[in-house]
Amino acid sequence: MIAATGMQVIGLSALLLAGLGVVFAAVLLAASIKLKVATDPKVEQIHAVLPKVDCGACGFAGCASYAKAVAADASLIGRCSPGGAATSAKIAAVLNLQISEGSAPKRPIVHCRAVREDKTFYAAYRGIEGCTSANAQPNVQACAFGCLGFGDCVQRCRFDALHIVNGLAVVDYDKCTGCGACVAGCPRGLIEMVPFTHEPMLTVACSSRENGKTTRSMCAVGCIGCGLCARQSDLFAVKDNLARMDYARYQPSEATETARQKCPTKVIVFRGKGAPADEKVSKTPAAAGAAS
Amino acid sequence: MHTFETLLLGFLGIVIVNNLVFTKFLGICPYLGVSGRIDMAFGMGCAVTFVVTLAGTLTWLIDHLVLMPYGLDVLRYVCFILVIAGAVQLVEMYVRKFFPVLYDSFGIFLPLITTNCAILGMCLFINLWGIDNLPEAVVLSIGAGLGFTLAICMMAGIRENLELADVPPVLRGAPITLITAGLLTLAFMGFAGMIR
Repeated sequence: MIAATGMQVIGLSALLLAGLGVVFAAVLLAASIKLKVATDPKVEQIHAVLPKVDCGACGFAGCASYAKAVAADASLIGRCSPGGAATSAKIAAVLNLQISEGSAPKRPIVHCRAVREDKTFYAAYRGIEGCTSANAQPNVQACAFGCLGFGDCVQRCRFDALHIVNGLAVVDYDKCTGCGACVAGCPRGLIEMVPFTHEPMLTVACSSRENGKTTRSMCAVGCIGCGLCARQSDLFAVKDNLARMDYARYQPSEATETARQKCPTKVIVFRGKGAPADEKVSKTPAAAGAAS
Repeated sequence: MHTFETLLLGFLGIVIVNNLVFTKFLGICPYLGVSGRIDMAFGMGCAVTFVVTLAGTLTWLIDHLVLMPYGLDVLRYVCFILVIAGAVQLVEMYVRKFFPVLYDSFGIFLPLITTNCAILGMCLFINLWGIDNLPEAVVLSIGAGLGFTLAICMMAGIRENLELADVPPVLRGAPITLITAGLLTLAFMGFAGMIR
């Protein structure tokens, strides 16, 4: 054995690795030329215009397989939510097709706005730190519809667009691509993908189907099913003690603004890009509303 | 030193007695992931056999000609991974060119051969067992690949029949597969100690 020390070892190592790398690269290069598979150039062009985030929102394993599928079947255009309408248009251009005006981009909204102080707890939860396991406990928190705040949805998000702020999942709409991965992460089904026809737009931030009295007893900001909003605008409808909005038809109007202001628990909030920042922490809106 | 008898014993030993899947529990993820149908399992076995043969031979050569003489043993893992990754790329191109259907059905498992612990395991075992001549290293590598093929094909055969079996609902899918794998392993444990 040849004794080698210090710098010598490092030099030898570098030399060896570089040598091996070059040899393998040469072999692989030769092989790639020899074994080249003729692929449809359209597939490559489509793949080039995709965002290449491999989020799987289109229902395929990744951007490469979506590109292949869309080249074969043009009706699959429009499945790429991170890319949105722009990407659909580019794919259509590659395939030489015309596409009709797409619908509004879908983004997630969290149907809850109770931060830790708003919620009622009967006991401290000391189980596995995760929404799915916490949700298996019948009494982890009083409201069976509220955000558990362990961030299972945050783990699903590949774009750092979701955060738990004081026990509540909050979407950062500047980073959100609308891939919809977070929806599957919420065991309580609090996250819904809705078409954002406006930025920002009004949303109902509650999921509680309890009657008003029960909701009031355990959550400071829950929907009590009073129906005030529904009387202002036909965009709102109250079913099972819970107000819901028809997001596809949403148009900002005096009626919706009145509904937002009259809502006794202030559960109708603006969300999306440019939404008032104070909506993120539910303690402040009252103060902000008084000031404005 | 390396008579025909040694080679044969070593080969049988690695295929049956020291089978990487059954006795070392290496390469379990393709073993469970691609063992749904026999044709796919056989294709996977062939791919792994090719990679492990190439990797075993090349790493033995690199280990004995470069790494050990120059005292660069620390680079063993890096070099081995380099060799394996290169071999997998070759296989991937080859399969893609000549067996496109197989290529599609492998999906992610084909590039995942790169991180198949059975292959790195075999390269390291060759070193660990102190195999000091090339023919034996080559035969052991081929044997390891064939052992993997044997294991994955047996599993695939059983699973194809399981499809038709009346499995209790709680055991359907993954549980019965894992139980089957355990029973297969137990059966192969019967060979333990025969050779080596």
